[in-house]
Amino acid sequence: MRTTLAQASLIRHRARTLLAVLGVAVAAAMLLDMVMLATGMRESFRELLVSRGFDLRLAPKGTLPFDTDATIPGVAAITSVLRNNPDIREISPVLGASIHIPIRNREGEGQGDVSSAVLGIDPTVQGDYEFLSGRDVTTPDAIVANDYLIRRLRARIGDTLAVATGYDPQTRTYSGQRKLVLMGRARFVYGAADQSAAAVRRETLEAMEGQARHDHASLFMIRVRKGADPDRVREWIETYIPSVSAISIATAIAQVDQRLSYFRQLAFILGAVSLFVGFLLVTTLVTVSVNERSGEIAVMRAIGVSRAHVVQQVVLEGVAISFAGALIGLGLGLATARYLNAILSAFPGLPMAIDFFLFQPSSAWTALALLVASGIAAGVYPAWRAASLPIAESLRREAIA
Amino acid sequence: MTEPTQTPAAPDERPIVSLRDVRRDYALGAERVHALQGVTLDVERGDYVAIVGPSGCGKSTLLNLIGVIDQPTSGTVEIGGKRVDDMSDWEATSFRLYNIGFVFQRFYLMPILSALENVALPMAEAKVPREERRERAAQLLAYVGLSNRERHRPSELSGGEQQRVAIARALANRPTLVLADEPTGELDAHTGAEIISLFQRLNADGTTIVVVTHDEGLADAARRKIHMRDGKVVDGSA
Amino acid sequence: MLLTLIGALLLLQTQQNQPRTVAIDESFAARANLKVGDRVTVSSRPGADDFAVMTATRTGYTPIAAAPETVLIAAIVRRGADPSEVARGDFLLRMHLDQLQQVSGYGDRVDRFAIATKPSANIGQTVNRINHVAFGFRAYRSRDIAVETSRTFQVVSRFHRAIGVITIVASSVFLLCIMVLKVEERRRDIAALRLMGISRWSVVQSIIIEAALVAVLGSVLGVALGWAASLFVNWHYQALYRTPLAFSMVTPPIVALAVSLSLLLGIGAGILASLRLVRTPPLVLFGR
Repeated sequence: MRTTLAQASLIRHRARTLLAVLGVAVAAAMLLDMVMLATGMRESFRELLVSRGFDLRLAPKGTLPFDTDATIPGVAAITSVLRNNPDIREISPVLGASIHIPIRNREGEGQGDVSSAVLGIDPTVQGDYEFLSGRDVTTPDAIVANDYLIRRLRARIGDTLAVATGYDPQTRTYSGQRKLVLMGRARFVYGAADQSAAAVRRETLEAMEGQARHDHASLFMIRVRKGADPDRVREWIETYIPSVSAISIATAIAQVDQRLSYFRQLAFILGAVSLFVGFLLVTTLVTVSVNERSGEIAVMRAIGVSRAHVVQQVVLEGVAISFAGALIGLGLGLATARYLNAILSAFPGLPMAIDFFLFQPSSAWTALALLVASGIAAGVYPAWRAASLPIAESLRREAIA
Repeated sequence: MTEPTQTPAAPDERPIVSLRDVRRDYALGAERVHALQGVTLDVERGDYVAIVGPSGCGKSTLLNLIGVIDQPTSGTVEIGGKRVDDMSDWEATSFRLYNIGFVFQRFYLMPILSALENVALPMAEAKVPREERRERAAQLLAYVGLSNRERHRPSELSGGEQQRVAIARALANRPTLVLADEPTGELDAHTGAEIISLFQRLNADGTTIVVVTHDEGLADAARRKIHMRDGKVVDGSA
Repeated sequence: MLLTLIGALLLLQTQQNQPRTVAIDESFAARANLKVGDRVTVSSRPGADDFAVMTATRTGYTPIAAAPETVLIAAIVRRGADPSEVARGDFLLRMHLDQLQQVSGYGDRVDRFAIATKPSANIGQTVNRINHVAFGFRAYRSRDIAVETSRTFQVVSRFHRAIGVITIVASSVFLLCIMVLKVEERRRDIAALRLMGISRWSVVQSIIIEAALVAVLGSVLGVALGWAASLFVNWHYQALYRTPLAFSMVTPPIVALAVSLSLLLGIGAGILASLRLVRTPPLVLFGR
């Protein structure tokens, strides 16, 4: 009966109900977007880190992976120390550098060069790229590149490239040059869509870089044994290898969190504002509707309907509006989130796999729960006030009106 | 025609309504209005009482006190042998639901519910099972002569019909007492007469009724007339 | 001129005669617990417990390992309001050019020259002339470089603009809803006025004036709230990122937009709701 009453009361003022639902929908959309923004980055970054199955990353002391050009010396020595820990299953040292590849037209004339980031890896244990087609860097003179670089080079699989690790603009000479064969295509998971990236064997890159980079790595990626605690391994590494910072997925996420705290705070503030406005809207609607029905409510109370039941019926109206608004808001929110995500994905250097707005069912549930809770909260006060008015007084006023 | 569904008169000889030196003061701005100034009154079981008097004499206040929707400033009110003047809101609500039926001048039906649903509303509150609710509401509508109007909304009914639905609603939970505040006030003479005869039939079938009215016809139909002036009962004779 | 260094600072209290002076930025001083007068050793080869200081984009040079040098911290500086540095965790050390060249092993090289032109100079022509004769380097306008390096901020401001538009649309819907509801609440007063014989137009007018007043009052309150919020936002983020940059500004055009938008919506809602109400017969409004 209460549901019938609430439903009928909403239908009685169709235009008003529709407007309120629309208002709540907008609030719900905003709220959903902000919940998505607050959790999306962290979640997609975590997925990115977890996706390749490496639990720890070792970077030069005090830095994040590839945050600086600093490198870790003594790869062989560090590897042998790491091998002592039975919890460590796989070690993948990575050396990062930049390369310059001159391009020539058909007539063999130089047309400038293309520079790119390059990783020196061991293809059997690497966790930096997904191999797409062709052949991996199984030979010392092999190189794989991402589609963006291949497009810029106007190269084809099988082409031989003159790759240099150094270029002196004063003398216009290349250093560390070597002929490498483009063997395959790869997608670099930590790279942005508009960034060139390539990979060669680590020995190859070390040889090209010369003595200064011999036995150096920019990063170690480490996989721990199943069931082992990555944090314990991390502590172990920092004790035995003081020249590195060991970064677990959790600490990496925490660091990214800190750098991008701005977006989370923005999300929190805007989310709170939209929730508050939604609340205000439902309160106003319920108050107006209750004031209009003060006589009706007094009569219900007079014929023995309890205060709690009157409140329930009125609150039900608020919840129904919130719920309907939230459903519409879900679609609206997803559309705006896609639009906003497209804007933010243009961030320079942002890995393709990172989304600022990530839809997770939990986001939708959180937004819905918050809205329905605020709908209840918004309805309770005006309803309770209406149900608590002295009955005789309300009836008398109603009769005078 | 179905029998009215009120409780059969119990072999209890005590008056069903008993007020002793009841006073009710209101604050009206800075002033205090003494709406009732020491009313003592008994209504016997099965009686049909009309309270009459000029506007502002305290008739409605008296009815509200008997109906347990208001509480006296001092004095005692007993309904069916039970003190109701110091009940909590929750107790009073429950008491009204099972013991008192209200009929108002302006009917006050829920505009969004059908006639049948309006009659069933107090039963739903009393947790009467759905089927029984429907059946009894239909019987009550038949009793007031509205069998063919079950599905109609109040806006689709005439004033007299609406008031008859309101009377059926008042009888929903088989109350011991039916209270009516100017039940014919909004009706034309002909329709008013129909309501008057309905009340008479109701009383004849055993329902105790107290009405507040300016309507001479309605007052004359009652078994007893109580005259009020300035918050006092001036003549309580039959 | 700001030079960058691949390297690290080794905390060492070595005594040396007349060390040369350097300046470090606030966040580095706070993090490494350094104060003016402390001596530190700078080196291009990081050791185990060193702090890595701001890095440069490598252009192919291989720094020659050079001897570490002990320097005296002579100043702690606050970074300029450079948007591209916000949210970066880098530490910054300023040292004399020759000293950095020596420590970093770069030799007699620099990353770039900054050139100031006379007010009357044609910058485009100057750039062209330099590039015509340049050998091994290239001249750019500072403005063009600024555009390149502020891509992050362009993205953020595009995002802000989008959020702004969404917020405006959302608040318009809210305002409209609330104003319509508020006018609806007055249905009985409107009915009473109409029964008294007040003309429809007068009723509509009075409601519109009331709605406009509410809208103006509300927007004034909103501007005050926004201003207070922007003070807080600036205070918070300036402390968080250690920068004098202003993150939020309440400017006259923004105030004008907020007030006029709410006025417009208020009046719109007033007209909408009041027209609907005055068309309904007064007795229906009373619910009879």
